[in-house]
Amino acid sequence: MPQLRDSGTHALTGSDGVDAPRSPQYGTGERIFGIETEYGVSMTGGERRIDARQVAATMFLPVVAQARSTNTYLRNGARLYLDVGSHPEYATAETRDPLDALEQDLAGESVIRKLALQAQERIRAKVGEHAMVHVFKNNVDSAGHAFGCHENYLVRRYVPLPVIERELLPFLITRQLFSGAGRVTDHGFELSQRADYLDEAVSSATTRARPMVNTRDEPHADPDQFRRLHVIIGDSNRSQFVTFMKLATTHLVLGVIESSVRAGRASGFQACTLADPNLANRAISRDITGRTAVRLAVDRGDGNAAWHPEGSASALEIQQYYLDIVRKAVTADPDSVSGTLPRTDVSRVLDDWQELLDLIAANDVAALADRLDWAAKYRLLSALGGHGRRIDPWRAQQLDMDYHDIVNGSVYPALVRRGMMRVLVSEQDVGRAVDRPPADTRAAMRGQFVREAMWRGARYSCDWTRLTLSEPVHGEVVMLDPFDAGPSPAFDEVLARLEKSASQA
Amino acid sequence: MPQEFAQGRARGEQRADDSQQPLERAQAETQTDALDQVLDDIASTLETNAQDYVNSFVQQGGQ
Repeated sequence: MPQLRDSGTHALTGSDGVDAPRSPQYGTGERIFGIETEYGVSMTGGERRIDARQVAATMFLPVVAQARSTNTYLRNGARLYLDVGSHPEYATAETRDPLDALEQDLAGESVIRKLALQAQERIRAKVGEHAMVHVFKNNVDSAGHAFGCHENYLVRRYVPLPVIERELLPFLITRQLFSGAGRVTDHGFELSQRADYLDEAVSSATTRARPMVNTRDEPHADPDQFRRLHVIIGDSNRSQFVTFMKLATTHLVLGVIESSVRAGRASGFQACTLADPNLANRAISRDITGRTAVRLAVDRGDGNAAWHPEGSASALEIQQYYLDIVRKAVTADPDSVSGTLPRTDVSRVLDDWQELLDLIAANDVAALADRLDWAAKYRLLSALGGHGRRIDPWRAQQLDMDYHDIVNGSVYPALVRRGMMRVLVSEQDVGRAVDRPPADTRAAMRGQFVREAMWRGARYSCDWTRLTLSEPVHGEVVMLDPFDAGPSPAFDEVLARLEKSASQA
Repeated sequence: MPQEFAQGRARGEQRADDSQQPLERAQAETQTDALDQVLDDIASTLETNAQDYVNSFVQQGGQ
């Protein structure tokens, strides 16, 4: 059981009883979103084998040539790097809206795809023209190694960690009914890629244990005001609809949790506290009907013992319960909630969420197949393996993987081409997101900085809160507030210095 | 052990039959046609050695 290292919940007022100066967004329900994806790689069709490490290293040759490192930040504000275990990893710029996050995530696919195609050319020169590089946006390889798609949400600091565990975890675990990417296993079809590979529920520890949710003490923001919620339990999704809904629904649930803590009342979510989150997660993953009952905790706080007093509920019931509470909160204060997302229509999200639950309850896989990754896979596999034919298990596993191959996959592009998969973002908008950072977060400054520095051949480095110029001039900009798109005076000054030194060169 | 994917009795998956309303039947037919087209599109994938493809994908775990 990992130690919970947490620097403590910071109360609503400063310790001397006076309110500390707050970010303008501290009192609103606005959110910062980010998606980090670890990709898997492989090569097939060559005259000899090339392992993942070499494929990934080849992909990153252009990155190293430009940045002198396998870790770099891009002109759209994203971070691109080569992870431990040879996973190309892409972390999107900070965004204020799930639709922006989706666009930035798709931009990541585009960047990675381009690197892979370049690598494929190099590799073909060595091992023959039939070699193919595969880059999998999924969560498990063929040997059972697991890797992740992690979501980041900026959460107000006054929400205690135990509250997040109790109140958010049941939602995250049952969310797989629609966000699960699906997985072919030797014991049947599962909803979630990751369910069999997670250890603890909540942890502040980092690499060893694999928790479902993590809070980081480096929130990349003022730690007095915010904490960074790092959700590890999610699958890597190809469905744009799911990526969007995953973020939007989690945001709404977090909003209710935050406003309840602020108001000093129960959210109602504690009624869903699970007795054994890990067990529940696995059980739910094995049932596409969402009906398997999971045990609720014995002690679930006052006033909610009435909800399933027998102490168990299904994933569908738990999701519906969350939706109902969120809808009530939105109805009570519509302007306040809709104001938290600049581009997304909250009532539409609720209606879409309800429709998903209704279709899952009806087991209408065909209707869900244009939105949910697991349903799209399931339906395709049914079509192949139905009518008394049984599908070869290797073929099923191959198609499962192919679905996630963003470079040479055939299944997902065919589904899109035939109008069988919903697409929310145009190719043009993806192209824009590759090129430009979000305009309404500090990523705007980071992106511009990188663009300018690259253009002038300057030496620079970044992390999430800092821009550092080292050659031809020194400069540093600190950006503590992710909501602040600037430009700050420090930022203007550093750019001016850069421009001046370049014109003197 | 061969995988079996149960074919649910869902709206879209039923083969068009006379018991359905004309619109439903047309929708079911369209979905079945589109799925057949997808299967055509991925035909070359279905001809490759699946076991080789699957076993080629081996990483270390991520964080």
